[in-house]
Amino acid sequence: MLPEIGHFALILSLFFTVALAIFPMWGAQKNIPALIALARPLVWGYFVLASISLFCLSWAFYHNDFSVVYVAKNSNSMLPWYYRLSAVWGAHEGSLLLWIWILALWTAGVALFSRKLKKSDVARVLAVLGFVSIGFLLFTLITSNPFERTLPYFPIDGRDLNPLLQDFGLIIHPPMLYMGYVGFSVAFAFAISALISGRMDSSWARWARPWTLLAWGFLTAGIALGSWWAYYELGWGGWWFWDPVENASFMPWLAGTALIHSLAVTEKRNAFKSWTLLLAISAFSLSLLGTFLVRSGILVSVHAFASEPERGIFILGYLIVVIGGALTLYALRANTLVSSHRYKLFSREVLLFCNNVLLVVALAVVLLGTLLPLVHKELGLGSISIGEPFFNKLFSYLYIPFALILAFAPLIRWKQDKIQRVKKDILLGAVATVFTLALCYFTYSIDNPWTLVGVGLALWVAIMTFVELKSNKQIAKLPMSHWGMVFGHLGFAVMVIGIAMTTFGSVERDVRMKAGDQVELSGFTFTFESIEQVQGPNYSSHLADFTVQGGDKTYELHAEKRFYPVQKSVMTEAGIDDGLMRDLYVALGEQIDDDYWGVRVYVKPYVRWIWLGSIFMCIAAVFCIADRRYRHVLSWRSSADKATSQA
Amino acid sequence: MKFKLIIPGIFLVFCGFFYSGLFSDPMNIENVQVERQFPSFKLKDLMDDSIEYTAADVKGQVTLVNVWGVWCVTCRIELPFLTQLRQVQGMRIVGVYYDNAADAVFGDVDINQTRKEVVQMLGQYGDPFVFNIYDAKRDLSLDLGITGAPEHFLVDVDGTIVWHRRGDINPRIWQDELAPIYQGLLSKQAKGAN
Repeated sequence: MLPEIGHFALILSLFFTVALAIFPMWGAQKNIPALIALARPLVWGYFVLASISLFCLSWAFYHNDFSVVYVAKNSNSMLPWYYRLSAVWGAHEGSLLLWIWILALWTAGVALFSRKLKKSDVARVLAVLGFVSIGFLLFTLITSNPFERTLPYFPIDGRDLNPLLQDFGLIIHPPMLYMGYVGFSVAFAFAISALISGRMDSSWARWARPWTLLAWGFLTAGIALGSWWAYYELGWGGWWFWDPVENASFMPWLAGTALIHSLAVTEKRNAFKSWTLLLAISAFSLSLLGTFLVRSGILVSVHAFASEPERGIFILGYLIVVIGGALTLYALRANTLVSSHRYKLFSREVLLFCNNVLLVVALAVVLLGTLLPLVHKELGLGSISIGEPFFNKLFSYLYIPFALILAFAPLIRWKQDKIQRVKKDILLGAVATVFTLALCYFTYSIDNPWTLVGVGLALWVAIMTFVELKSNKQIAKLPMSHWGMVFGHLGFAVMVIGIAMTTFGSVERDVRMKAGDQVELSGFTFTFESIEQVQGPNYSSHLADFTVQGGDKTYELHAEKRFYPVQKSVMTEAGIDDGLMRDLYVALGEQIDDDYWGVRVYVKPYVRWIWLGSIFMCIAAVFCIADRRYRHVLSWRSSADKATSQA
Repeated sequence: MKFKLIIPGIFLVFCGFFYSGLFSDPMNIENVQVERQFPSFKLKDLMDDSIEYTAADVKGQVTLVNVWGVWCVTCRIELPFLTQLRQVQGMRIVGVYYDNAADAVFGDVDINQTRKEVVQMLGQYGDPFVFNIYDAKRDLSLDLGITGAPEHFLVDVDGTIVWHRRGDINPRIWQDELAPIYQGLLSKQAKGAN
């Protein structure tokens, strides 16, 4: 019964979103208060129905209702309850439902926290969000219904969740990522609404900014979690692979990063309007593009869902309507929004513009690198593959100007500044950077020039961030968003140090070992102590104990090789001793014969800093959102009036 | 205003590629080896260090080159059928032996052990090979763009690769793909000889 209720709720919510897309928008255009007032109740209805739907599917998983096809395919009665719940988003159909629920959540959030906005503007924003939802609801109901039953004959037990996904990382990685992807729909809706109404001012940016920052924070967390999960779960010691689907999540992140900076200019200086709108449209469009790439089976990727062309065509049609429509609207209407603000060549505006240009170039690199193999093949030019070397090289080059500018841009004033004013600070920062880098060079004997460039510029960014902080007269009185910037930039520096050190400093060895064998790796002695068979709840496993001797300390590592009988698959659980300065990593390979095992050992310096940097960035987003001025925003119109009267 | 319409325009072009991409299998890697010359090489015989082969040994007669190894289960399964092809069709089949363990850091590969395993496997499942090239350092495999074993290359008299397959040869593949091409090449070879 409950799956049917869930299905019915989903169908009903489709009607709500159709109504939401039509009536409030019509009301806002024709100025009919009764229709405008419909927006919020429709949103509440949509949110409640989507929640019921998600709850019903979760319930079916929790109670092992294998008469539901989706549950039978992705769960098993032996699965612990928390994995049964996270299995809801373990495959295509359920993850779409989660996507829809999150979209409903963001829509409800906008409806709830926009009481001070002008009613007709809220109506437009909510209507756009409703319009976006229609596509996903139709897609789910027509091509990917998670509530489909297999009655009267249903399996006694389910086919189990993919063992790769039976992990804490997976419980939270997709919801975080979807919060980010879907969150950009709010900025998108604000942009479309501004294009339709033809009005966009700094208070528009003030409204759109916290939502964008929140989405960006979630996306950052989602990507970082995915990277961390791959690192400890896949057993090859990597944290980023430039896989098409990773790229699909990285593109909206780059666009989002550009957007939060460009929004700052629009909010504070009333400039870059048209550019900001384009970025707001792009960030969400790239999220949708990512969805298409993952769910259509068009690219080969570890993340790709099993797929049928029918689904691909549906999403493609949806992309053309939403992205094509938005971009056309932008092309036709953006010129009505004129940025009248003037600034000189040496000003923060120009530096932020450079930041945006570099981020967009990076975005173009990822976009082309991801799609070029497809285009190349469809043109009949043969298969090509674009991978790590291409991306690593171009990103290394792009990083240099990006970090150089990023470091001192916060010191520069809006509108117009003089080099004389900041010369002393920059000189101080440069001297400190060279000194610190020399110190690092001699302590770690870094011999790779790219490591030096990476670490050197990261130090430059970090040191200049402190220099900027010091240059403020009253640090205690700085607004929260300033601290957000400080943390965001420090996070970037920390992450780059992690990337540079681990990319060039990691050492690894593949060895054949039996219990009692030892292997040496960059000053650490790995000893294979013993191996035994253990039984888990839904798997059997070989558990190997290692001890690692380094300096005067001994560490214990446990590497595991699990066999999941239901799906007949083997999983690696790497043994990791994590430290701020280095990770010790042991992964169990294949059993070679009775006694011998293939074993992979790594020493990875500073790899934790990659995720530490991401945590800093998430904190940065929280700080920015917590800024007082977002809590004291007046209505859209009246604050705009105030702004003009002040000018 | 007009030039901004380029943006949705570019997007639509991409959508065109997406649409055509939906109907082509991403796993189907288009072949870049076909119609190329078989790469030149100089490698030893798997069984006898004193014999050395070059690309000339693959030319001169229509030849099927089979990349295989004792560690490869699919290779074992196709051995009887390949042997049948040699016996019934008189096909000239040359093996390129891909040693899976050779690259590992586990120390030197014991060639005698490999030879013992090869002899045992070919004795048990059938021996389709005229000879086996031992590609210890994978130079040839790299030039051929090998992604795994088994892989097959059908080489024409003049040393051109005419057909390439990743995966096994079974009766169905023989019927549908290989036989027409092979027989076409044979009749061409016969004409050339006359």
